[in-house]
Amino acid sequence: MNAVVRQNAARSSAAASSGLVEPAPSAAPSRSSVAVQPGDVFVRFGNVSKFFGEGEGRVHVVDDVSFGARRGEFIAFLGPSGCGKSTTMMLASGLVPASSGTIEIGGTRIVKPYTDLGIAFQQDLLMDWRNVLSNVLVQPEFRGWRVRDYEQRARDLLALVGLSGCEEKYPFELSGGMRQRVSICRALVHNPELLLLDEPFGALDALTRDQMNLDLQRIWQENRKTVLLVTHSIPEAVFLADRIFVMSPRPTHIAQEIAIDLPRPRSLEVRETPEFAAYVHDITRCFYQMGVLRS
Amino acid sequence: MTVVAAERAGGGVRRLVREGGALDRFGVPVGLAAGFLLVWELVVRLCQIPVFLLPSPSVIAVTLVTDWRVIYLNIGSTLVAVLGGFGLSILVGVPLATLIVFSRLAERVFYPPMVASQAIPKVAIAPLFIVWLGYGIAPKIGIAFLIAFFPIVIDTVVGLRSVPPEMLQLGRSMGSGSLRVFLKLRLPSALPNLFGGLKVAVALAVVGAITGEFVGSQSGLGYLLTSASGQMDTPLVFAVLVTISAIAVLLFLAVEALEKFAIPWHSSMRSRHLGP
Repeated sequence: MNAVVRQNAARSSAAASSGLVEPAPSAAPSRSSVAVQPGDVFVRFGNVSKFFGEGEGRVHVVDDVSFGARRGEFIAFLGPSGCGKSTTMMLASGLVPASSGTIEIGGTRIVKPYTDLGIAFQQDLLMDWRNVLSNVLVQPEFRGWRVRDYEQRARDLLALVGLSGCEEKYPFELSGGMRQRVSICRALVHNPELLLLDEPFGALDALTRDQMNLDLQRIWQENRKTVLLVTHSIPEAVFLADRIFVMSPRPTHIAQEIAIDLPRPRSLEVRETPEFAAYVHDITRCFYQMGVLRS
Repeated sequence: MTVVAAERAGGGVRRLVREGGALDRFGVPVGLAAGFLLVWELVVRLCQIPVFLLPSPSVIAVTLVTDWRVIYLNIGSTLVAVLGGFGLSILVGVPLATLIVFSRLAERVFYPPMVASQAIPKVAIAPLFIVWLGYGIAPKIGIAFLIAFFPIVIDTVVGLRSVPPEMLQLGRSMGSGSLRVFLKLRLPSALPNLFGGLKVAVALAVVGAITGEFVGSQSGLGYLLTSASGQMDTPLVFAVLVTISAIAVLLFLAVEALEKFAIPWHSSMRSRHLGP
């Protein structure tokens, strides 16, 4: 039943994603092609903490994190390396159980892995023995769905990120940026409601990273899924996110929440505007205050 | 037209000479071997070394031809022992490695006796195998198995464990059961290591089979080797050794061909030659 609904969704969205780009820029961050109710919270963390290990060696990683991410909202977790922001994000997948507190997605409490999501990590984690198309189609295949129903959407997504013609290539024939784009397509092909991105562009060079940021924004604007992005790049977070959670060092908590009110679609030039600089300045000051940065 | 043809021919020559070309691939090893044999031949002839001490390559070659029938008749049972032991070591080794990866208990139960079994010289247990399994092909297969399964288990365990944890998380995030994750993620990831183990194992299986035939047998190249050396027929000993090496090399190449077919995507298949 669920699978049938999902397949239909995939088909209709494959039709919608055939090269449509949001026409006019708009200041409202929650504007979407799908009707999104403002305040319709999709992912809710309530006093979530996470410890690893037991007894003396117990490590406190996540400390009392609470937030609500609206449906279709782009959230960025911004913090220093090793602070626990990745763990915080992974808690939403249900793959890692929280030690205390509650996590709800779409009103349902998460107690086991939540599967209506797509994940992309810093490593692209492509399967070397499969070609590009087959790597993207791993998603329906591993779920036991009919792979053929997703093939067109997979091709559309690959074309969207500039990889048409590469479907039959093997991962070792691709550059790092191309591989990471395949991994993003894999996270999107089943049209999930939630997208978890764990520093997906961390290993890329600066130019490729800029391009990936633009691509990701475009894809997101066409689909408007809820995104939780983990990054340690301040400009990347400001460029992409509707809201930024600035995370403290370990045990991590949300030190500051910053709503980014820049019009979309954002071009790379937005980074030279005073508004952009002001956001970066605020966040940098926050890191100084926490002692993450020292003058 | 002729220019193109000439260029093509020139390219062919360059390809022959260049690193990785046909000359590099076959010319160098063949040349080295020929030089070695030549020196051997000269030393034996000039120093007039008696044939029962060290036969010259030409004598060995002649023996290989004249005694080919007796060698040929003994290849079969050795080959059965090698392939039987090798096949059995795959059938046992891969599932055992899987069990070890998935169960800490299995790791604790199987690892110590496995390592201990490798520490005992196979020649020392071979008589026991004869006592237990008789004089037929079974003890030879048993010894070939005992020596060949170890690298398969060790390498498969390493391979199955080398999957990044994020990859497994990804698999679970797609709602996959552990069987599917194992078959489609872990097993393919382990293939490069598995083939590394297979290549070591197939060479060791030959050693195991010959060892088994040494101890108690009426057929096989190992048996021929002992009986020939018992009769001081040193040229035949060398001819059998050449045959055994040839079998080992051919089996190794067969596994390598299978590897190329199975994992063309792996970096070991693409960047074989490091250096300038």
